[in-house]
Amino acid sequence: MRAYKPKDDLQAKAYYTDRYYVAPQVPKSAVEDDEIFAADLEAIKAKFEVKEAYIQVEQMVIYINAHDIYGVLELMRDELEYTQLSEMSAIDWLAKDDTFEIFYQMLSMTKRKRIRVKYFIKNGQAVDSVEKLFRSADWSEREMFDMFGIEANGHPFMKRILMPYDWQGYPLRKSYPLQGDEFAAWYEVDKIYGKEARDIIGPEIRDTATVDRYDSERFARLGFEVPKGTKITGNEERNPQEYQEEGGVFLIKKYTKESSKVIDDPQR
Amino acid sequence: MAQHKVNYTQDGGLPVALTSIDKVVNWGRSNSLWALTYGLACCGIEMMAAGASRYDFDRYGTIFRASPRQSDLMIVAGTLTKKHAEFIKRLYDQMTEPRWVISMGSCANTGGMFNTYATVQGVDRIIPVDLYLPGCAPRPETLQYGVMLLQKKIRANKAGNAQKPKRLM
Amino acid sequence: MAQVQNRLRPFFENITFDRDDNELVLNFGPQHPSAHGQLRLMLHLQQEQIVKAHPDVGYLHRGMEKMAENMIYNEFMPTTDRMDYIASSSNNYGFALAVEKLIGLEVPRRAKVIRMLLLEINRLMSHLFWLATTALDIGAMTVFLFAFREREYLMDIIEGYCGARLTHAAIRIGGVPLDIQDSFLHQLRVFLNKLPQNIKDYEDLLDSNRIWLMRMEEVGVIPTEMALSWGCTGPMLRASGVAWDIRKEEPYELYDEVEFNVPYSDKGDNFARYRIYMEEMRESAKILYQCIDMYDECVKNGETELMAHAPKYISAPKLDIMTQNYSLMQHFVLVTQGMRPPVGEVYVATESPKGELGYYINSQGGPYPYRLKLRAPSFWHTGILTDLLPGHYIPDVVSIIGTTNIVFGEVDR
Repeated sequence: MRAYKPKDDLQAKAYYTDRYYVAPQVPKSAVEDDEIFAADLEAIKAKFEVKEAYIQVEQMVIYINAHDIYGVLELMRDELEYTQLSEMSAIDWLAKDDTFEIFYQMLSMTKRKRIRVKYFIKNGQAVDSVEKLFRSADWSEREMFDMFGIEANGHPFMKRILMPYDWQGYPLRKSYPLQGDEFAAWYEVDKIYGKEARDIIGPEIRDTATVDRYDSERFARLGFEVPKGTKITGNEERNPQEYQEEGGVFLIKKYTKESSKVIDDPQR
Repeated sequence: MAQHKVNYTQDGGLPVALTSIDKVVNWGRSNSLWALTYGLACCGIEMMAAGASRYDFDRYGTIFRASPRQSDLMIVAGTLTKKHAEFIKRLYDQMTEPRWVISMGSCANTGGMFNTYATVQGVDRIIPVDLYLPGCAPRPETLQYGVMLLQKKIRANKAGNAQKPKRLM
Repeated sequence: MAQVQNRLRPFFENITFDRDDNELVLNFGPQHPSAHGQLRLMLHLQQEQIVKAHPDVGYLHRGMEKMAENMIYNEFMPTTDRMDYIASSSNNYGFALAVEKLIGLEVPRRAKVIRMLLLEINRLMSHLFWLATTALDIGAMTVFLFAFREREYLMDIIEGYCGARLTHAAIRIGGVPLDIQDSFLHQLRVFLNKLPQNIKDYEDLLDSNRIWLMRMEEVGVIPTEMALSWGCTGPMLRASGVAWDIRKEEPYELYDEVEFNVPYSDKGDNFARYRIYMEEMRESAKILYQCIDMYDECVKNGETELMAHAPKYISAPKLDIMTQNYSLMQHFVLVTQGMRPPVGEVYVATESPKGELGYYINSQGGPYPYRLKLRAPSFWHTGILTDLLPGHYIPDVVSIIGTTNIVFGEVDR
């Protein structure tokens, strides 16, 4: 019987998990443990709703509402000295509850602290662009759109950035296979040679374990080369490749191993 | 100042070498393989190292050129992605005949470790390849060995006959 | 077989060349010899001046983040090599540190010292490579040959350690796989003793070179606000007046025990960046000298451990695997199924030669990361070209791209 594979989550899965295995948690601590984070959280809480906040691995994580993001980041930049947006992207939770989780990684250079601002959006919902606040969001939002299909409202140039403009599908969604779909498999052939060339060029060989030692059309076994297209029996004569032909080469000094000099001291 | 003294009493007396057209043409072709700089990824760095001080590619007559019109050899060094595929075809078409292609490194040979949606699984899906160099990334010595084997391959050709244009299909 | 004409149409079909405003559109790349990789720029020109620049990246996008989601943690380590392939070990290290923070591992001291040695050697290699390529782009061929010569010596040392020249995979999660070879320290010392003279040679060739100065000084000025807003880090940010070095500010490994300075400048132009790279090489050499002493101390104190002891996550030493049944079983499970870090998320930033290299890992308790985001510094250093290039002239483009030190393996990932 073929194993059932869910269509909405094509990520590789552990083939065996102990049925009593309970995954441990990375410890979370309360925000009050850290004075600076506590003060920052107070300042944010005074103006915006914060759903959850904790410290994990030396960084504060706060969950806010999706529509507050511009305000929160503006407050953090102008009043709390979080002057840099290091990173932003999304996490795909479509298989679980049809949502995306967006995170913004903020850095304060004066306080030497990092905060991760997060919120959830529904599938198909757009986020508010923070490109006006941080120019770096220009490219990260484009990357997020490219990889997940999440659009950003108010972005000046919402186009794909890493994949070609005419690409189909959003590669980092869990429903997108690692090795690409039908469109991806023939993308370059269709574009350069046209669909009718598919039969001539043939499908991609995606099996990494493929070794066809009876193939003399494309690859040659080093030291056992045969003319192209010869049927390989396995009893080929050893045919060592020299740099130069036996009879010497016109106008070029014959290379011999004896006359070469080996440099064994790399520092010389 | 060094003085060039030719001994006219040896080798038939005159500074003249008799040979066939084949040999002369192939000598010229094989020893002035100007390569198109096609450093796509990591292998491109090793290709540069092969051209730089320690491995000194110039002594093979291999000089990197930045223009496809001036080059005979395309060393595809690195991962070819689907977004880039059309450009490699375009540049290959711009090179003048006779032209050769070395596919350097696993990524260019078969896609290598990047068995993903975005990589072309072997540059030979786009352009015909003469020589495949294994390795990730191949050492500069490997590239030099590859060029020497390519020179040997060129010398085996008949120069008098028009080169049969290589086409993928 | 009948020859089929290819279907490629001219790529400029969407661009209007016949414009009313007298602007010329210039396509630069994606395969340009001085673009340091596969950068494509669409430049709008008014005479020779750029009025609008549109960098186009993605020509080396290989889907690393997707690969990471389908690989066990140790399997992903060699893939990180191919990001910033000029300094592979710094990528390995960033990933290893992120996973260690996620698990909560403490690495033995000797492994830390070896890691620092590797990291600083990689920084030197990267800076030498930067100097070589940038000088070549500007036209200083001699510096290219000189810098590559020195880089080869460093590669010899690394090759003796891990067997590879370029793609090292020399750092494991939980430590380092091997002790350094016998000749490592000697070769390194010989190299470091020569380095000041070498750096002086480059500077003698460049610092008073009229062409070099004309193409570097007052070209490509990045104001502090722009650098911060674009998320610039590393030498790009330090050249714009912010002395921010993660090694100093958020020390990892033993960087709080070594003494070094953070060079910075408030000029923000190409020349400031060039000076910072040169000074950083000197600082790296200083750190390496101290690391050598620290390593000797480790040997004296009899610290031999190279991998952290955490049987749930890290395989036991080879001797134990070969002799003890339980270690063998653990090793088998870890190799076939992979380690399962706890549920949680972590963002760890390290100072790679290019800037802040961050790994965001979201683990759901399985052997595969649920989401892994690579924060590569070059991505934003490419993005800043949008705002930086307008107002400059065509020849400045090459020198600006050179000093931003972008590597496309990590821009496109």
